[in-house]
Amino acid sequence: MKMIHSLFLINCSGDIFLEKHWKSVVSQSVCDYFFEAQEKAADVENVPPVISTPHHYLISIYRDKLFFVSVIQTEVPPLFVIEFLHRVADTFQDYFGECSEAAIKDNVVIVYELLEEMLDNGFPLATESNILKELIKPPTILRSVVNSITGSSNVGDTLPTGQLSNIPWRRAGVKYTNNEAYFDVIEEIDAIIDKSGSTVFAEIQGVIDACIKLSGMPDLSLSFMNPRLLDDVSFHPCIRFKRWESERVLSFIPPDGNFRLISYRVSSQNLVAIPVYVKHSISFKENSSCGRFDITIGPKQNMGKTIEGITVTVHMPKVVLNMNLTPTQGSYTFDPVTKVLTWDVGKITPQKLPSLKGLVNLQSGAPKPEENPSLNIQFKIQQLAISGLKVNRLDMYGEKYKPFKGVKYVTKAGKFQVRT
Amino acid sequence: MSQKKRQKPVVWVEQILLKMLPHQDEEEPASYRGSSGSCPGTVRKMPYLGSEDVVKELKKALCNPHIQADRLRYRNVIQRVIRYMTQGLDMSGVFMEMVKASATVDIVQKKLVYLYMCTYAPLKPDLALLAINTLCKDCSDPNPMVRGLALRSMCSLRMPGVQEYIQQPILNGLRDKASYVRRVAVLGCAKMHNLHGDSEVDGALVNELYSLLRDQDPIVVVNCLRSLEEILKQEGGIVINKPIAHHLLNRMSKLDQWGQAEVLNFLLRYQPRSEEELFDILNLLDSFLKSGSPGVVMGATKLFLILAKKFPHVQTDVLVRVKGPLLAACSSESRELCFVALCHVRQILHSLPGHFSSHYKKFFCSYSEPHYIKLQKVEVLCELVNDENVQQVLEELRGYCTDVSADFAQAAIFAIGSIARTYTDQCVQILTELLGLRQEHITTVVVQTFRDLVWLCPQCTEAVCQALPGCEENIQDSEGKQALIWLLGVHGERIPNAPYVLEDFVENVKSETFPAVKMELLTALLRLFLSRPAECQDMLGRLLYYCIEEEKDMAVRDRGLFYYRLLLVGIDEVKRILCSPKSDPTLGLLEDPAERPVNSWASDFNTLVPVYGKSRWATISKCHGAERCGPELPKTSSFAASGPLIPEENKERVQEVPDSGALMLVPNLQLTADYFEKTWLSLKVAHQQVLPWQGEFHPDTLQMALQVVNIQTIAMSRAGARPWKAYLSAQDDTGCLFLTELLWKPENSEMQISVKQNETRTETLKSFISVLETVIGTIEEIKS
Repeated sequence: MKMIHSLFLINCSGDIFLEKHWKSVVSQSVCDYFFEAQEKAADVENVPPVISTPHHYLISIYRDKLFFVSVIQTEVPPLFVIEFLHRVADTFQDYFGECSEAAIKDNVVIVYELLEEMLDNGFPLATESNILKELIKPPTILRSVVNSITGSSNVGDTLPTGQLSNIPWRRAGVKYTNNEAYFDVIEEIDAIIDKSGSTVFAEIQGVIDACIKLSGMPDLSLSFMNPRLLDDVSFHPCIRFKRWESERVLSFIPPDGNFRLISYRVSSQNLVAIPVYVKHSISFKENSSCGRFDITIGPKQNMGKTIEGITVTVHMPKVVLNMNLTPTQGSYTFDPVTKVLTWDVGKITPQKLPSLKGLVNLQSGAPKPEENPSLNIQFKIQQLAISGLKVNRLDMYGEKYKPFKGVKYVTKAGKFQVRT
Repeated sequence: MSQKKRQKPVVWVEQILLKMLPHQDEEEPASYRGSSGSCPGTVRKMPYLGSEDVVKELKKALCNPHIQADRLRYRNVIQRVIRYMTQGLDMSGVFMEMVKASATVDIVQKKLVYLYMCTYAPLKPDLALLAINTLCKDCSDPNPMVRGLALRSMCSLRMPGVQEYIQQPILNGLRDKASYVRRVAVLGCAKMHNLHGDSEVDGALVNELYSLLRDQDPIVVVNCLRSLEEILKQEGGIVINKPIAHHLLNRMSKLDQWGQAEVLNFLLRYQPRSEEELFDILNLLDSFLKSGSPGVVMGATKLFLILAKKFPHVQTDVLVRVKGPLLAACSSESRELCFVALCHVRQILHSLPGHFSSHYKKFFCSYSEPHYIKLQKVEVLCELVNDENVQQVLEELRGYCTDVSADFAQAAIFAIGSIARTYTDQCVQILTELLGLRQEHITTVVVQTFRDLVWLCPQCTEAVCQALPGCEENIQDSEGKQALIWLLGVHGERIPNAPYVLEDFVENVKSETFPAVKMELLTALLRLFLSRPAECQDMLGRLLYYCIEEEKDMAVRDRGLFYYRLLLVGIDEVKRILCSPKSDPTLGLLEDPAERPVNSWASDFNTLVPVYGKSRWATISKCHGAERCGPELPKTSSFAASGPLIPEENKERVQEVPDSGALMLVPNLQLTADYFEKTWLSLKVAHQQVLPWQGEFHPDTLQMALQVVNIQTIAMSRAGARPWKAYLSAQDDTGCLFLTELLWKPENSEMQISVKQNETRTETLKSFISVLETVIGTIEEIKS
């Protein structure tokens, strides 16, 4: 009963640039089935995550232009494997700052060591980043320079203390001179807005990420002004579930360092505010080789906060050859190969709403597109949780010192789509 | 699939192989991978040195006493060896020097050397024995990290004869005071067992591992489970008894997510003794339904479903409670999680059709999602449609029909087609509008949908017939042409220009590339000829002439000849043979899977089955059947491939049956499906019983055997449907009708038989049932 037999890392051009086997060696030729699927899918994005071959299943994830392909020989819960592969990718990201082919190749010795510690005999072992970091030190620019001069390496030479604690997510004997606890409330709005501007579907996906640097064994309680807002909450294993059920208070002994405390959803339609609106007019004339494109963005239910970091991405129909547009602010690009229009807007000033208008050149003779393209919109609002969620207070028990506490809110667009 | 062997300079690869240096001497299968064969982005990171030169240079460095004296320089050289090794160069040449390097107090250096040894030990078994001394010594090092590393490396050496050296260190490791070492030692037990060739189970070791389930370190506990499972796999894996089950349940909250997911899986084997205990366990599990890890949530859900298999309301309740987490997973950042979650949503919908109906908007596709997610979402939308949301769902699906991706657009059209079985008018209207777009890929699928629809829902025939004219201009592919021609043939009398459209096909029959289209054309034209002879006679003659005289495809030619001879027999005979019913609404009822009980899929939940279907998984795991000791897979009977053939001797046995009783069943009883349905609904069940039925099922064989004893099959589910149903009819010489329903439920391996009779006569009923029993019993016997 091996969970994961082998792992192959494959880049977008189909090169297997790294492989690791936890039991016997599985020939690379097993990846041919993956390549076959990749070819069939046309676009790399569309390669299905589970592929069956005569003797194995291949379960893969696609992250940062890389495929992590695992080879499975026995019945396994697929979610388990997928989650684990994402954890591997997260760990690379955490260690090298990016999860790219170059970073993995540059740090191949560390990658190897990490995989060895994360999985033994095909079973997940140490996967918490703070524990791993004690086993294997992450490279820093400074350290890698020093390493190349002195020949020192990144292997930790003490036994990680976390391995001795009975709470798997926290090591014993943590000590800080400055004791701090920070919480980030991050909300993403997923929405589909129809042609007329009314909301087809909207939902908030929220998370609270914590960065806890507290000495000893602190026991924390976090309460909200309006906990009933939260529809579906998933918890970090450290949270005492019964306490939440009865009092709606998050009570926990935190892991050391960065971790995701909870994730939640707010989905009742009337609670989800839509902070931007788009006025659009996109038209293609029958039997003519041009069309008109005109969009304007404005603030809607933004609770008086500035909306910034706006980008609009549009996949134009295949028959579009080029676009001649004028933005009132920001800059735009159109890639005639992928037909993707990107408009980097910046922030909205209500006095003068940003707009982008001009002409669309179509392939002559081709029938006009049946459907107008959808607009994908990105934005960011600082110091606002759009659901209205507010942290009431944070209390600490079990330790005597006074920690420094802080909460930050931010709202972003998730899959925010406007149909035209 | 072609087997391409990739020759690598390094022979043994239990490690990462970095493909940095292009192998120019090997044949690059570039054609297979298309443009992706070689990667222009990879720049050579270093000049290619023959591995011999490198080895020589490194060997010299490793032996250099000055370097050995300088800890950092020594370590640096070793790191270079590792780096080359992972890049695929054969570094086995410096094995001796590396073994020497392992005798050091520098733990970093040790770790690197161990890495090296595990890779090359099988190539140099005699030299590796030297390393074992060092490793053994390290297993009693004061530093627990060193002990753990040494033990793990030793267990991973995988060379013959290593067992005798590792046994003692493992046993010591199991009692080590550092949990890090115990974790390694526990997994080492399984590795050692594998080295022994899985032959005998060391009872003392197993007991030791069972007692370590009480270890205070949570990972040691989970590793014990994993290790025992592997060692005891011949006996069906680790046994979870009551004390172990409750011990694990109490430790659950201390485990990490991987441990929790695995323990939940092991607990599936435990059967609580009493209802009280069952509900205690369910209470303990409750909080895991809200875990942050979808894997744990799904594991807990499955355990709930399995434990509560006798309490359907508890099962439903659990599915309601995980609705939130499951929906959240469906819109997770990880597309792969979304996909698997969607597959499970479909599974749940099979039992609780209304479960996600109010969340239908969750399953609307967003433009940027990958294909496989969109396709799943469309399937889900089809299944959750109800009176309240049908309007919105159809509007949404209508939008997808014009998607840039033809595949996705077609999937959306098929989806509308399947919703049309319930909401016919709205759907037919949408489909008709789509024809107006005059797009080839859309028209062909719409016409195929229409064909399937009129067969199941005859009430829409009129609307479909009105929409058809003009379609022929936009259909090029075989499937689409066949569907159009079939419709024109069967319903041609309602389509004014049907003969002219078919005439165009006849004109171009020479250049028609698909034989299937020609076959369809022959049948359709002959049918239309029956209803509109004047318009069709001439071209039918031309078509038959072409097919018989010029056609090269044998099947088409034979079909042409067959129709020609049939026409010679006379028009009445043609009518009798060709004019079959034009629709069969009962098929829809049969095809429509009834709400399946949760228990029919609970054991497949959180496995790969919902993703790929049971049969696919069965074929794959069969290859490992020898080593598997899990639940037995259904045996495929010997004649599965060859089709419904009853061995000769059995045929005789079957035929004897009718004579044994006083009952005489009339041959060739003709009952229409309509009549059957009416009668069936009007009668009460006269007799019901259950017969055992193990393993696979071959409807064709059964149908054939029943026919032999003059029991006719009116309708049956397709092969492989679960549950499988069939409706049978028979009549005895006194005119008494027997209507029978067979219901095969694979999950409790039994066949339920319900018989209805139009006259109440217990004697004949008994004989009839004994006939049925014998037939089914015989088939069951042949099969096994």
